[in-house]
Amino acid sequence: MDEKAVGFTLEMPKVGIIRGVKAKDIEMVGGKVVNLRTCARPYENIYTVTQLRAIQGVSKKYGSGKVHLSPRHNMEIPEIKNKHIDEALRDLYVAGLFPGGAGTSVRNVFTCPDWCARSVRPVQAIGKMVSTNFGDRDMPNKFTISFAGCPNGCSRPHNTDVGIIAVAKVTIADQGCPDGCRECAKVCPVQAVGPTEGRVKINRPACIACGRCVKACPEKILRSEETGFKVLIGGKEGATVAFGAVIAEFAKDFELLEIIESVLRKYEQKVTPRLAGRKKKERMSEVIERLGIAAFLAD
Amino acid sequence: MEMETNGILPGRTKGKATLRVRSLAPYSAEFTSGQIGVIADIAEQYGSGQAHVTARQTIEIADVENSTIPEVAALLNNIGLFVGSSGSFLRNVMACSRWCLYNVRPVSDLAQKLNKLHADRQLPGKTLISLSGCSFSCTRSRTSDIGVIARSNIALTDHPCIHCTLCVREPLGCQVEAITLTETGPEIDAQRCIHCGFCTTICKPATIGLNGTSFDILIGGSGGITPRAGVFWKNVPTEEAVVEEVDSLLTRYAAVAEHGERIGAVLARSGAGCLEEVGHG
Repeated sequence: MDEKAVGFTLEMPKVGIIRGVKAKDIEMVGGKVVNLRTCARPYENIYTVTQLRAIQGVSKKYGSGKVHLSPRHNMEIPEIKNKHIDEALRDLYVAGLFPGGAGTSVRNVFTCPDWCARSVRPVQAIGKMVSTNFGDRDMPNKFTISFAGCPNGCSRPHNTDVGIIAVAKVTIADQGCPDGCRECAKVCPVQAVGPTEGRVKINRPACIACGRCVKACPEKILRSEETGFKVLIGGKEGATVAFGAVIAEFAKDFELLEIIESVLRKYEQKVTPRLAGRKKKERMSEVIERLGIAAFLAD
Repeated sequence: MEMETNGILPGRTKGKATLRVRSLAPYSAEFTSGQIGVIADIAEQYGSGQAHVTARQTIEIADVENSTIPEVAALLNNIGLFVGSSGSFLRNVMACSRWCLYNVRPVSDLAQKLNKLHADRQLPGKTLISLSGCSFSCTRSRTSDIGVIARSNIALTDHPCIHCTLCVREPLGCQVEAITLTETGPEIDAQRCIHCGFCTTICKPATIGLNGTSFDILIGGSGGITPRAGVFWKNVPTEEAVVEEVDSLLTRYAAVAEHGERIGAVLARSGAGCLEEVGHG
């Protein structure tokens, strides 16, 4: 590491204001710099025109004209001088943007956009509800929640502490499938559906409930009357990788808050420092690895 | 249903599409304030005023009329932005920020090199390349088809330890608590160490020394329907070597994979040997 860290004392809330370093090709005229991580809050995955313009303005006026997109749909504005932090925050605040999504707290709740053609159901609204309830809650370690609108999981629900995947309950109408157009078989990503002997059959254990066959079926033989959420806990990515374990196969909207709340509490209860006598606490994946998923969920 | 072409995704309303915008200049993971401004203007004028920041450092502009897409694309191209990064192509190469405190070395320049060489190269299946400046892998290198992680080559030297305990003490001490301080000096637990190199920057007498940096290449990771963790492929010393290795991997992958198969699936089917460069066995 060639760059030297610029140390300073923060008077502002620390969340989302990240200590900066001086990058090689960036000219700095003395002073101290920080990076500002912003996101729309109550957290949303959508930036409006006003918000984009506010970010543009702050980056140009107080920063170095750069904006970094973080993988959890935050935008980071680097190299804001310490003395301009208050003004920068004010400019963002009027557009509905706040710094956040850093430190040992519940990070930005990640949802995919409703306009995606693949989404089983819209998840933006419920993601917003979850982030209003749990956003920036203090936790023993970093805690991430991701919503995915379909099992494709662009928002990486398998590698987050709580991953929530929308799933469709696919049913087959009684009328049979005489034509056998095989549209369903063409779109199925796991080859679990197709017409055989005049009827559509689904291989249930292989089916991932993404509902693509429902959208493809021209005769509306395949239907999806109900959608729900699959909940995974204990995933992470970073220095090590862990994939989440399924704790609910088909949770309804109103159950989600309860499930997340109970998971957060169990984590807070059962967490221990990584090494005896040190401060740093475990991530949830490490707690689950140590105790086993059954013991973790037990009271 | 309309055909999905690269970067133009079918929208929620008929006749409108979502445009996925990637930056090729100045950096792939970074937008300038001017570019953000233009995206805001386009979202206002041509779209519904909404922009979504995706998980792979692109920005999606919602509800753009199909007829205006060429016009919008031209506006974007003027300022180094391109519509793309979807389908069976090499997607946007992810890189972490150049100003992060944990960076072993910035990887944005490497991302630029890879983007310039391979941007939207057609491949048998969706292919993700992610670069991380340190082992914490915020860009999800460990679950990408090709993940490149910068690491410090940490080596204990003969310089005597002065027992300042900085390397084991908060807040600057080892993040993963791989260092234990003994009578004779620091000892590093190789199992725990993630090669972030932070200890080498704070060790005043250079007992914990830095012997250059290198890149770990991991392959075959993926998220989604079949989540897989990437497996270690090679450690290479320089950016040029990474570029070479990625090029050879992509070429071999294009040769051996069946349609729609991702690198992870190729590995599961026929093992890592088939991705070795021809001539090396």
